Amino acid sequence: MLTSTAAQSERAKRDDAASRPPRSRGLLLSARQFGTVIGLAALCATLWILTPHFLTLSNLLNVAEQTSINAIVAVGMTFVILSAGIDLSVGSIVALSGVVLGTVLQAGQPLAVALPAALAAGFGCGLANGALISWGRLPPFIVTLGTMSIARGAALLVTEGRPISGFDASFRLLATGRIGFLPAPILVMALVYLIAHVVLARTTFGRYVYAIGGNEEATRLSGVAVRFHKTMVYGVSGLTSAVAAVVLTARLNSAQPIAGIMYELDAIAATVIGGTSLMGGEGTLGGTLVGALIMGVLRNGLNLLGVSSFLQQIVIGAVIVVAVLLDTVLKRKHRT
Amino acid sequence: MKKLQAIVSILVALASLSCNRDTTSTSTGKPTVALVLKTLNHPYFVDMRRGAQEAADRLGVTLQVQAAEREIDVEKQMQIVENLIQTGIQALCITPSGSREIVSALVKARDAKVPIVVVDTRLDAKAAADAGVRPATFVGSDNYEGGKLAGEYLVKITNGTARVAVLEGIPGHETGDSRLRGFKDAVKSSPGISIVASQPANWERDQGFNVFQNMLQAHPEIDSVFACSDLMALGAIEALAAAGKAGKVRVVGFDALDDAKKAIAAGTMAASVAQFPSEMGRVAVENAVKIIRGETPAPDVTVKLELVTKDNVK
Repeated sequence: MLTSTAAQSERAKRDDAASRPPRSRGLLLSARQFGTVIGLAALCATLWILTPHFLTLSNLLNVAEQTSINAIVAVGMTFVILSAGIDLSVGSIVALSGVVLGTVLQAGQPLAVALPAALAAGFGCGLANGALISWGRLPPFIVTLGTMSIARGAALLVTEGRPISGFDASFRLLATGRIGFLPAPILVMALVYLIAHVVLARTTFGRYVYAIGGNEEATRLSGVAVRFHKTMVYGVSGLTSAVAAVVLTARLNSAQPIAGIMYELDAIAATVIGGTSLMGGEGTLGGTLVGALIMGVLRNGLNLLGVSSFLQQIVIGAVIVVAVLLDTVLKRKHRT
Repeated sequence: MKKLQAIVSILVALASLSCNRDTTSTSTGKPTVALVLKTLNHPYFVDMRRGAQEAADRLGVTLQVQAAEREIDVEKQMQIVENLIQTGIQALCITPSGSREIVSALVKARDAKVPIVVVDTRLDAKAAADAGVRPATFVGSDNYEGGKLAGEYLVKITNGTARVAVLEGIPGHETGDSRLRGFKDAVKSSPGISIVASQPANWERDQGFNVFQNMLQAHPEIDSVFACSDLMALGAIEALAAAGKAGKVRVVGFDALDDAKKAIAAGTMAASVAQFPSEMGRVAVENAVKIIRGETPAPDVTVKLELVTKDNVK
């Protein structure tokens, strides 16, 4: 698919990037992301050779659908990591937003009420994170660790630990509905990436996210309202977690207070495999999407091949470490 | 480009790693039965897999066993089911991580005309009926009866007078809820038995320890424990040992794990309700094979339960 001319233009872009300040935004592929795409393509090719079940339309749609939830959470995570922060609370926010959605729906309210309520819950949690980090001057790790526990506890408290289920068929369309042959979760994922890409690549807010991650002090000195923008970054993360919660709840036909455990790690992994630097300031959403797809394809492929679930964990862990290792090695070479 | 080479070589290594597994399942042309467990990090499910594997070997079918990393991860279990359907399995045996949630995945199995054998944990009857999912058969033991068995035994050994602490499983899980209902129904008729504390410890040993330690702080008069699983019971026993009350409080658990049997033999635990997970695995695969061969299995197969006490512990 990727011809040599594409490779050449990619190389040209890289040379170009060397003369200008190195920054890639939005969905544009940097050299690093190009490597990730190759990785994904190679992974797909390998699975195509190994099993006849991989490269079928229904399986590829499955992979995309299974990836959608992690991919959506990873959008917010990318914003946070780009700003040189971290958000450990996303999994719990998924649970809490889902529970809010479920509770409101169960109370007989229409989706037009439940959906904004769920999104507001997620956004609110995110803003609280951001405010504590910006104005409270607390480390993101600690604040979001606290929120991780608080949001989880709140979700359990609201539901008394029990899942909420039995929703209207119209709500379930968010998981089972299709436009053409595309299932709804894939469409929601596409929409989230499109909007987030525009925000990151085309707005001043997006530019500030990179700037804050690159050099927060310099950004502040140049007159940017760093605290406000940092707060919004965590708000975005909470919001995308809530969107993921809506998809998850529709998919399971149930809002579980124990949903989303360890989602933070999957989202961080997708972001990092996708080439976003944990130091902030570098990375793209396109990379994150590819990173999430790599994880999804890997899980799917290992299932199809019947690899033991214990070995699967080892393989996925190894891929994460190797991806970051390659990234680090590559960067070191570029700098020296 | 070196990086590219590295990635490719990793993938090739990965591929060769999984390659030999693949050939065993597809090249022989034997029918494939999938067994999707809640998790494989619990001895209960490891036993179930063993029983299933033995049956599969005997009947000449290929068994594909998959499980989520965590017992409560229904979404992951759903992904596994979706993926297995793609591989063209002829029958699906599943221990649902969520009685309602997994129904969405089973709809896909139904649409792909894969017969479903539900094992260990029942589907939520209403959710299944609403979605039009009709499992071919259920194989499992009656958790309600098991809870009742435990309750009746406790009434017997305490002569109907006890201050009981209850360690529950994850709230909303059919398995734990049924055990608890059975236990409560059994002790209901004895007015001398009162449940002074009842809290979830989420099936886990360390949580059983902590939750019970706190209960003991609040209610030092506790003289009996019913834990909805042995792991939680074993946690409680450790908490008792820490409080210097080992052997003084009667602990009744569920599952009859090896560690629990040792504790019963040692006298630190009173009893445990034995289920036979390997038996469940065996019957599940046998029924799946029956379905593949066009026979109709019994719609509901109850696997026996047994109370393990000091008198019959092996």
